Amino acid sequence: MPLIEVHGLTKRFGKVLAVDRLSFTVEAGTVVGFLGPNGAGKTTTLRMLLGLVRPDAGRATINGKAYRDLPEPLHQVGAVLEASSFYPGRTARSHLRVQALLSQSDPSRVDDVLELTGLTGAAGRRIGGFSLGMRQRLGLATALLADPEVLILDEPTNGLDPDGVRWLRDLLRGLAAEGQTVLVSSHLLAEVAQTVDSAVILDHGRLIAQASLAELTAGEHNLEDAFLKLTKETAR
Amino acid sequence: MTPMTTLVRAELFKLRTTRLTYGLLATAAGLTILFSVLEASRAGTKAGGIAPLYTASGLDSVITGGTWALLLAAILGVTVSSGEFRHSTATLTYLATPHRSRVLGAKAIAAAAAGVVFGLVGYLIAAGVGLIFVAAHGYHLAVGDATLARYGAGHLAAAALLAAVGVAVGSLVRSQLAAIIGVFVWTIVIESLIGGLFKSVQPYLPYTAATTLAGSSLGGAAFGPAHDAATSATALPFAAAAGLLIGIAAVLSLLAARITVPRDVS
Repeated sequence: MPLIEVHGLTKRFGKVLAVDRLSFTVEAGTVVGFLGPNGAGKTTTLRMLLGLVRPDAGRATINGKAYRDLPEPLHQVGAVLEASSFYPGRTARSHLRVQALLSQSDPSRVDDVLELTGLTGAAGRRIGGFSLGMRQRLGLATALLADPEVLILDEPTNGLDPDGVRWLRDLLRGLAAEGQTVLVSSHLLAEVAQTVDSAVILDHGRLIAQASLAELTAGEHNLEDAFLKLTKETAR
Repeated sequence: MTPMTTLVRAELFKLRTTRLTYGLLATAAGLTILFSVLEASRAGTKAGGIAPLYTASGLDSVITGGTWALLLAAILGVTVSSGEFRHSTATLTYLATPHRSRVLGAKAIAAAAAGVVFGLVGYLIAAGVGLIFVAAHGYHLAVGDATLARYGAGHLAAAALLAAVGVAVGSLVRSQLAAIIGVFVWTIVIESLIGGLFKSVQPYLPYTAATTLAGSSLGGAAFGPAHDAATSATALPFAAAAGLLIGIAAVLSLLAARITVPRDVS
């Protein structure tokens, strides 16, 4: 059974059809890129998968269950959705302590993930003073805290400097090597091509392709060319 | 599923590590000192219009200063829920606890616990100011220990329940600024207006009922025409006032849960 299963997912915001009968799967132990131009419906899809946005039709499950029915959601899914969603007056450490409490994780995990994301030195500082890159790191620390089965990352390279991008790539590769399942959305294809096993490509809320990296780039120079060709075809 | 006690502990931890909590508590303490000292120094003077401190009514006026803590407890409740939307932390909160009505319940309980602290601080300051002025004048205390204890219990209960009401209001309104302004306008302007115009309704107005629960005379904490107006209406008895506030908190919380649960969070 696939770890993530999206079937016929549809969401309309007013007149805009954000996601249109989208179906795809993510197998355990794979790193899957979730690709599409800005406004393709990536974030809306991820938010529906995580129970934050209600689909108009279709279903999205993790381990066969809707997110809200997961017995211990933070142990099954670690998600990084946007860079600024922390209370600015709280320190990084006390933010993580709240999360550890909520996920009933061992408090020692707080120091582990601070270390892993390179935030140990900033742990006592208020998040309000963090750069975008530090927030992304804190988002990842939050997601990794309960040692989840699957990581869901929405545009994780946003706001990262070249150092940060390299750090993230190494982190994802390390996690992939350990067999971690990752679904990572991005509009930066060159970056994603270096980390993913396969990709789900969508445009205008519709699935354009789901295939391994090798299949996608067959006959094309690289993923970017394949992507542009695929999205152009649907635009016609 | 994360136990409710854990959710409440997490909310209490958030309150303890939020500077706003201390800012609101300090504001409550400051306003209570200001109004209690003001009333105490005007009591028994010709210009003051407040009964002397050797009467129960005079002492009541001073202890009414503690009702500022009730108002600030309601504001705290508003920030506990609306803060999630102001700082977009609702996403992380709902990822940890997808059952949103449980989040709301935990917030109401945690805010009520913090409200108890607000009520206690307000009461200790207001009663303390009253007792100091009474002693300084060399008067005998006009009210017994039982009455003072009832005022104290009333402060705690009223502040706790208003904080829970605030959580529901903040969740329904979502805009923190609008909700805070709304609470101030409702308590200080609207209840004072309605209370002044319709005397028979006055005892049932939520904030007015909360202040009478805390020991104020009916309209004692109000402004303008509703302030201590000559009236045939009497304040609700202790249990009825508490019951009214519990009812309002319950109805607004259920409404907030119904509306919050299906709402998209983006």
